[in-house]
Amino acid sequence: MKTFAYTIKDEVGIHARPAGLLAKKAKCFESTIMLEKGGKSVNATKLMAVMGLGVKCGDTVTITVEGTDEEAAYEQMQTFFAENL
Amino acid sequence: MKDKIFGVLQRVGRSFMLPIALLPVAGLLLGIGSSFTNPTTIETYHLGKVIYEGGLFYTILDIMSKTGSAVFDNLALLFAMGVSIGMAKKEKEVAALSGAIAFLVMNTAISALIAAKGGVETMAENSTTSVLGITTLQMGVFGGILVGLGVAALHNKFYKIELPQVLSFFGGTRFVPIVATVTYLLVGIVMFYLWPIVQLGISKLGVLVLNSGYVGTWIYGILERALIPFGLHHVFYMPFWQTELGGSMVIDGNLVTGAQNIFFAELASKSTTVFSVSATRFMSGKFPFMIFGLPAAAFAMYRAARPEKKKVVGSLLLSAALTSMITGITEPLEFTFLFVAPLMYAVHCVLAGLSYMLMHILNVGVGMTFSGGAIDLTLFGILQGNAKTHWIWIIVVGLIYAVVYYFVFYFMITKLNLKTPGREADDVQPKLYKRSDMQEARATKAGGDQVVDRISALVLKGLGGKENLSDLDCCATRLRVTVKNATMIDDMLLKESGASGVIHKGDGVQVIYGPQVSVVKSHLEDFIDSPQSNDLDSIIGVVSKEISSSKLGEVTPKSTGTVISDQSVLTIYTHMNGKVIPLEAVEDDVFSQKILGDGIAIEPSEGKLFAPCDGKIDTVFETKHAVNMVSKEGVEILMHIGIDTVKLEGKYFETHVNDGQTVKRGDLLITFNKEAIQAAGYSLTTPLLVCNTDDYSSVQSIAEGVVSAGETAIKINQ
Repeated sequence: MKTFAYTIKDEVGIHARPAGLLAKKAKCFESTIMLEKGGKSVNATKLMAVMGLGVKCGDTVTITVEGTDEEAAYEQMQTFFAENL
Repeated sequence: MKDKIFGVLQRVGRSFMLPIALLPVAGLLLGIGSSFTNPTTIETYHLGKVIYEGGLFYTILDIMSKTGSAVFDNLALLFAMGVSIGMAKKEKEVAALSGAIAFLVMNTAISALIAAKGGVETMAENSTTSVLGITTLQMGVFGGILVGLGVAALHNKFYKIELPQVLSFFGGTRFVPIVATVTYLLVGIVMFYLWPIVQLGISKLGVLVLNSGYVGTWIYGILERALIPFGLHHVFYMPFWQTELGGSMVIDGNLVTGAQNIFFAELASKSTTVFSVSATRFMSGKFPFMIFGLPAAAFAMYRAARPEKKKVVGSLLLSAALTSMITGITEPLEFTFLFVAPLMYAVHCVLAGLSYMLMHILNVGVGMTFSGGAIDLTLFGILQGNAKTHWIWIIVVGLIYAVVYYFVFYFMITKLNLKTPGREADDVQPKLYKRSDMQEARATKAGGDQVVDRISALVLKGLGGKENLSDLDCCATRLRVTVKNATMIDDMLLKESGASGVIHKGDGVQVIYGPQVSVVKSHLEDFIDSPQSNDLDSIIGVVSKEISSSKLGEVTPKSTGTVISDQSVLTIYTHMNGKVIPLEAVEDDVFSQKILGDGIAIEPSEGKLFAPCDGKIDTVFETKHAVNMVSKEGVEILMHIGIDTVKLEGKYFETHVNDGQTVKRGDLLITFNKEAIQAAGYSLTTPLLVCNTDDYSSVQSIAEGVVSAGETAIKINQ
């Protein structure tokens, strides 16, 4: 299991577009990718759940990756957040 | 025709800006460096103790002088490349390389012919020079411009050339340096025979000038300015400065020839009481228009620039004006209006000529090391004393010149609407194309073009659309692409476009096309820049839709008419009054590519969003423009009012439900001010998406055309 925290820099937060891209990316991996904010944890592939977190600019989210391809997933998730959020 | 020439000249002028931006810095380095390393200057001001060869200050000044002159010495090369870049429509880096190569080839061809003729000695005096170590004809900046314009024309004509398969490696952009080399080999040969004739004519003019007194001085001044763009001014004034054409005089017992030599001999001589105006008439005229006139012209251009451009233009003009004032290097300023407003340059030449004549009449005897800036004025005018030089007249005439230049230039610019910097027509702004524009544009296109377009469209779509591209390049046989999201790549589409294979490597993808790949790349880049690239689906047409749907296995076309048993079918109803738009046609990738799920979109006719089924509100977005809900059967639905409306931050939207609230089909969820949002520039296309599309065997859209809220919109097979 690998974990990293990320503070959102995108000024509109995780709204529909980034949530969609995130879910799509998350689906590429075998590993389970969870997104946690304020004690609430959701599966990154669940679009609606991700949007439901209501992540805003400045919020810190914790991303947890667990599974067979967690190395790659961990790396690519970090890249994804850095580039998109 | 006239407009066309004018348009080309304007682009030439603009293409000069890249090398010109460098000149002020180079000018200052050269001006300061060379003034204080000039032996005459050092001797005159007894600076020998501080500035001496090998000493620290001298070395620093010498470095400044030499690096500055490196730029000026290679100005022609800079222009050859700069104009190529500026005038090339696409693939500018290839044009730059070709420009450099063509410049070398042309000069080398000339050099070989000079050698064949018997070397520099057999050529007319001052007609040759060394460019990048190549002995060639003195063509000045003109040589560079000749290369730049020609190469750009060749480039624009050939950069997409398709050669027969065997030679196809040499096609496309790779063909440009090849054709440029061959062409400029020939141009070099032609110039070797043509240019000396031009040079001869110029030096004949010199003789004429010398024999016509004050008027001669005026003509000298006009010609000296007029020849600058052609690099011919050196051929013209050097004989005056350095040979007996500029007069000869016995000073302290030595015979000195040439205007500049006479001036410096007089400067060095203790017996000089007044500097000979017969020598300085070829120099002093520069001061009034370089220190006063041209900077005032720059101010006029600044004043005439459009308000929003003033800041940018201001810095360019200010640095160019200061360079002219301080060092007397005027090219940066003159080239800013030479090509966009040749008439202004003509007026400038006449006024400059007049300045020479006035200095001659007023007996002003200020010489110069190399040009007429404040540095030389101080050293060779003011510090020599008014009695010897009558330098005060430079200030008097200069102040008048400032006023004249300012008003003449301002008047010309505004009356004739000359496109000086900051007044150019704006480049076509990237505008949002509507679908109707697109269809019109396509309807007028020839069938042949469409084939090309369709292939590029297939490639682009196959790569996940232009938003997905982060880098596009090619090697000998492969298109090498870095994408933002590798999962959006569709190999089937790429193969349909003619690729023989696709190799994935993380975010990198290589699409193998064979040797003609550089043509594919050029077409693709053109296509990406065209508005058509926003509308891939309608270009690609039906075929690819079938391919993608069969590949993805998500979308079942509604025409299949599958018999669906009632238990397994869920129905979602339309969420708005308005017109249905297929999701693929929504002008936003995230929707059209179904990243957020499958569904439909409605262009609303009124500002109300209704619940599309019974269920529970999951999240109302804080920005009020979208809402998530879950139907009682578990279908996760996102309704997103408008495109990019997240940026409105809730303005113009009003929500009528809260998170967790249970709703019935047809309940009002959100109202919004349709007119205000449209007026703010946003599209109101509102997708209704099934976010958990993957959980179902198919999601098919039923509604089409004009609908009212509550009609059947989507059927979902479990």
